[in-house]
Amino acid sequence: MPMEPGSSPRAAAPSHPISRLLDRLAVLLPAQGPISIFIHHNPLHAFEHHTFEQAVVHAAERLGCEPFLSEGQYRAKLASGRILAADVEAVLRDELGVRGTADIAGLGSRLDLWQAIILHGIPTVAGGELSWALTETPALSHFRSDLPPSARSLLAAPRDNADRGGEEARLVRRLWKACCQAVGRASEASSQPPMPPVRHRDWLHTVCGIDTDGWIHPPLIRFLAGYLDQGLAHWAMPERSRGLHGCFLEIYRTPLAAECGQWAQTLPRHVADDRAANRNARDSIVNSLVHLGVTNDELADYLGAELLALRGWAGIVRQIEGRPDRVPARDLTVTLRGYVAVRLLFERAALEHAARLVSFAGPISALRSWLRDRQPPPTPPGEYERAWPLFHAAQLWGLDVSIVEQWQAQEVAVLECELRELHAVRQRSILQQAFERTIHHRLYDALSAHSPQAAAAAPAFQAVFCLDEREESFRRHLEEVEPTCETFSTAGFFNVAMYHQGVADAHPRPLCPAAIRPLHYVAEIDPEGDRLAGRSRRLRRRTAGFLGYNVHLGSRRPVRGAVLMTAFGWLALIPLVLRVVFPWLSSRWHRAHERTSTGVRTRLQLDRQDVPPPIGNYSGFTVREMADIVRRVLEDTALCNRLSRLVLMIGHGSISLNNPHESAHDCGACGGGRGGPNARAFAQMANDPRVRQLLASEGLHIGTATWFVGGQRNTCNNEVRFFDEDLVPARCRPLFEQAQAAIDAARRREAHERCRRFDAVPQWYPPLAALAHVEGRAGDLAQPRPEYGHATNAFCIIGRRTRTRGLFLDRRAFLVSYDPTSDDDGAILARIMAAAVPVIAGISLEYYFSYIDPIGYGCGTKLPHNVTSLLGVMDGAQSDLRTGLPWQMVEIHEPTRVAIVVEGAPESVGRAVRGNPTIEQLVRHRWIWLSCLDQASGTLWEYQPTGWLRHAPERPLPSVVGDSADWYQGKRGFLPPAAIVPRSSASA
Amino acid sequence: MMSNLPLAWLVVVGVGTPAILLALLGIAALIDRPVAERWISSLTAGLMIISGAALAAALVAYGTATAGTRLLAFGAWSTSHQGGIAIEFLVDRLSLAFAVISVTIAGIVSAFSSRYLHRDVGYHRYFVLLAMFVTGMLLVALAGNIEVLFIGWELIGLSSALLVGFFHERPAPVSNAFRVFSIYRISDAAMLSAAVLLHHVAGSDSLSLLFSGTPLPAKTGLTGANATMIAVLLIVAVAGKSALLPFSGWLPRAMEGPTPSSAVYYGSLSIHAGCFLLLRSAPLLEQSTVARLLAGSLGTATAIFAGMTTRVQSDVKSSLAYASLTQVGLIVTEIALGWYAIAFVHLAGHACFRLLQFLSAPNVLHDLHGMENALGGRLARSTDYLVTLLPAGVRRVLFLIFLERGFLDNIVDRVIVEPFVRTAQSLTRLDQWLCDAGAWTNARTGRGCRDE
Repeated sequence: MPMEPGSSPRAAAPSHPISRLLDRLAVLLPAQGPISIFIHHNPLHAFEHHTFEQAVVHAAERLGCEPFLSEGQYRAKLASGRILAADVEAVLRDELGVRGTADIAGLGSRLDLWQAIILHGIPTVAGGELSWALTETPALSHFRSDLPPSARSLLAAPRDNADRGGEEARLVRRLWKACCQAVGRASEASSQPPMPPVRHRDWLHTVCGIDTDGWIHPPLIRFLAGYLDQGLAHWAMPERSRGLHGCFLEIYRTPLAAECGQWAQTLPRHVADDRAANRNARDSIVNSLVHLGVTNDELADYLGAELLALRGWAGIVRQIEGRPDRVPARDLTVTLRGYVAVRLLFERAALEHAARLVSFAGPISALRSWLRDRQPPPTPPGEYERAWPLFHAAQLWGLDVSIVEQWQAQEVAVLECELRELHAVRQRSILQQAFERTIHHRLYDALSAHSPQAAAAAPAFQAVFCLDEREESFRRHLEEVEPTCETFSTAGFFNVAMYHQGVADAHPRPLCPAAIRPLHYVAEIDPEGDRLAGRSRRLRRRTAGFLGYNVHLGSRRPVRGAVLMTAFGWLALIPLVLRVVFPWLSSRWHRAHERTSTGVRTRLQLDRQDVPPPIGNYSGFTVREMADIVRRVLEDTALCNRLSRLVLMIGHGSISLNNPHESAHDCGACGGGRGGPNARAFAQMANDPRVRQLLASEGLHIGTATWFVGGQRNTCNNEVRFFDEDLVPARCRPLFEQAQAAIDAARRREAHERCRRFDAVPQWYPPLAALAHVEGRAGDLAQPRPEYGHATNAFCIIGRRTRTRGLFLDRRAFLVSYDPTSDDDGAILARIMAAAVPVIAGISLEYYFSYIDPIGYGCGTKLPHNVTSLLGVMDGAQSDLRTGLPWQMVEIHEPTRVAIVVEGAPESVGRAVRGNPTIEQLVRHRWIWLSCLDQASGTLWEYQPTGWLRHAPERPLPSVVGDSADWYQGKRGFLPPAAIVPRSSASA
Repeated sequence: MMSNLPLAWLVVVGVGTPAILLALLGIAALIDRPVAERWISSLTAGLMIISGAALAAALVAYGTATAGTRLLAFGAWSTSHQGGIAIEFLVDRLSLAFAVISVTIAGIVSAFSSRYLHRDVGYHRYFVLLAMFVTGMLLVALAGNIEVLFIGWELIGLSSALLVGFFHERPAPVSNAFRVFSIYRISDAAMLSAAVLLHHVAGSDSLSLLFSGTPLPAKTGLTGANATMIAVLLIVAVAGKSALLPFSGWLPRAMEGPTPSSAVYYGSLSIHAGCFLLLRSAPLLEQSTVARLLAGSLGTATAIFAGMTTRVQSDVKSSLAYASLTQVGLIVTEIALGWYAIAFVHLAGHACFRLLQFLSAPNVLHDLHGMENALGGRLARSTDYLVTLLPAGVRRVLFLIFLERGFLDNIVDRVIVEPFVRTAQSLTRLDQWLCDAGAWTNARTGRGCRDE
């Protein structure tokens, strides 16, 4: 299943080589669409055909990002025990294989030498910093303070000497001198010249320190933002029907365009030239490339670098080009080649100005070769720079000075080769793998040790949630509150793929995974709409909207604004004080107000109508389609044979204020929408007697006593709302009330557990206050972290709940219900994995990279974000469009690829993976970790490229008597999995 | 002055508490003693409440007492104005009301910021700057002489520039902060010149003459050309600080800081500091028709320019920045017309309203979506009758002008910055030439002072 259809071009394969090339290069651009429909995806989707470790390094070079956390962050994790030395050793063993045992220059095995370096590190310093380190730090007077004890004892054997400090300093200096001399005896160092830049701008920047991008980006961004604007500016850009390049030529044809900056003097000439020659975007690109002197063999590199220079904006251009249905202004012609054409025109004008500044008289096409001649030659590393790593390595390995003093050219060459292989990025890569190993092995231990809980013979009621890891805690608490209930989970659109339009919604919205384009349109209707109550509700809503819109508009106008401010400006103090100082109160008031303004008794128009839908192909579903939907979910969750009298279907969404990334907290399976309507539609379908009859005729019996109720949980303020409550039959009512009470209690407890991760919440908070706190957060204008979303996600468990019930997973595990015992041919597993794994991998990797490099892959801190064109955010006044997740969303995350555990035999899981090329590639290239839990023996098998490897448990599973709070209360950080044993069964 | 005692104390407490906050947080930062977030926010909240309460009480006390401007002087050591510095506060309805508004708004913003900036590395720094700003704002509001006014004016400018450059790990905020700071220097130079001239002409640096609210007595000499000169300098100072034409270019660049700082400076308080100064110097302005004409035309031109520019901006913060500039232009016009009461109410209402809009700027997607839902359809782009009447070619050119914000940055660069830099460079060259020439005559083999 393709994760991001937006990256495929809309039109048929274009014929022109430039268009083809741009299509090929566009995969490098961020695949994030408009921010109000936030779909999590792997930022390195274009690199998935490499193994993970190679891909991050490639991408880091290409995009100028970090491949891993900084070395310092790993050292901190080593110090705090989040990374264990044993795991580093295990990873190294795997990586080196037989090479690990090889002896290096007679000093020891490669494994030992590498391990010492990875665990302690060699500070990377060069040039002036090195002289500083040598003269101003204790580097030459003391051995390193973090030496392993074994090395220390070898280096400076304790002597009964009064002058120990002096002795040590002498030894250290001797070692340093020996290293320097060894390097002096060695052959000349080979220095690799850095990759030469491609773009003129990069040459100018390297050689002369002139940044032409700094000149052209501000006006280019203003133009792009104005062109792509979806309704923020009140005066829309004229001539937008001509396409990006055409519109640009019209607006910038005036001589005034030369005023865009000092650099823009020749811009009007280029525009006039394009107009005179009647060039379209493609011809303009070809013409610009000729003027820039770009040859055919460097074309791909050059255009790729051009695209990546402002990759957020280029990316959104590409996204709109591919999926124009996701943005409001659907009639805009947006093409990537239009963008490139405009960009190159700007660039040529700027380069001409820059050439004047550096007194280069020739044509721009010759500028690069001119600059190349002026580039200073690279300097090979000096003696000290080469001696420094050896000096540190010698200390870490505990080498006696006399050994170092005997090193000849050959030893130095061998050691330098070894250190080059174990470069800083490689060390970080190994530490990252060890870190992830530490995390997911904890889970494997827990799953191996946790004894499956017997399923209740006759559950009181059942609740089906989304597979989202934020529901893990909710389900756990619900089960703790009501031990007789059962919970399940499946993808949160409950297999109802539709465009949904609520009673108060202006537009329909797709509610299904991003990869699916829905065919069906479903409207929420207000049966009382024609009555007085309904009409007055509508009128009230419209009046409020009209007032709000006019205040919004008027405040930006001179005269209307002046009247408004003078007469009513003071009134703004009321919402200010309420929302900023008393957010809880205002959120309460807001919710109460919302309930009165929307219809109380609405219904979904689910049945197939003959009217043409506003979007999609059909209005409503046929009974056949409904039956298929219901069957699929009941089979996936293995509910078929054990339906209780009441089944709650609970979707989720998140509502918060002042949060441009609001949609990123919504349901991923609903394509960044809220899953309540899907749950409601499913319940309505499953309750439909016609559907039940059809299903019964096919062998799936839903008893007449069973009733489904749809609901939605707001993961931000923990409100759970049910739909169509008035339809619940009288016989189910007491049970429904019991379930509601249980959910109410679970709501409070879950809020309490969530609060432990919020720094601002005191740890003594009782559950009731915690609920009020999360309610306040959702309505707080000043809150950049309304919730932590998917942060901390690390695992995914596909299997029966009995395997994980009673296991505290710290909101880190996506749980997918699947029963291997009722899936003989593996068909169910195949379809579950096909739907769930790419979505989960997308979420996991988006959080992963946004944490690894919050500036490069994430969108930095939220504090200066500036919503632009209703499409995304910029930093402060103006910047590239920032894609990825903000730091406030990921700050408590641990960057780890998701570890997927499937309940089932290795053969059947292997079959399911091999049958799906997307998942197979993710697994083989280690973008996700895979393992399986044998349903019969309870053994856990880890997937390795060489085959399945039996996991040997390393740690016992902690066990707590009571409920979840007894395990987490008073703790802030990550908690390992633990078995929560209810008091009743503990005492029994 | 004895009858002023309770009032005086209230004013001192009102102005002093933010200054204490600044001192406490600032010293802690300087001696590298980071203070816990919780302490910073409680301390700020507490002192802001005290300050607000004291000033509100002062306003009530003042209102119940006899009207009239009062000058509260502290620091009797320098009453002779022979070069000493006296701390003087001018207390009347206008100054107290503006002070109360400033503290209220700053208080709301500090409550907002204490959660918004939670866990940010610059939390402490931010609150130091906010305290500096409030202190500056109150000094400007209550200044009784030019020294106090200037100190306040500078504190506002400094904290403003430092907050624009708050995220100093990125280059754009730093260069924009530098630009804001440079424009402020022009404004400060004009202000300083006005002060010197005022001292020279009127023989006093006390603003009570200027700000008394009553027509100026003729004997002060503040009439005719003198008054015009001083008033024009003040208007230049105001234009720089309030981003009037031709200095408007810095305003959108100032949106680099955290959202609440953008809100309180460029939506709410700092942008109005110039208007307030103009309002204070109304008696002086009344002496000079030229100055009033200048202020009025600057205000109107700014309002028209900003009103058009805001319609074209496609990012929410620039759009709001120009929207508030529109109102600032109108307020300046109102002052030039002599509508002081209206101008003040307009100013206060605008400060509150725009603060709300700026603080909820990140909510714009949510808000517009809610409006669309309530109205049941896409929001229509407002039709501008004037714009639709224009021929397409003119519309295109106008659009480009407003999209590029009137090319003001480029014009300022070309008209002011470039000649300045060029002059400086020629002077450097001349200097070096002289140096080289000297070196050549002194020691024919020497390389002179050219530093290569």
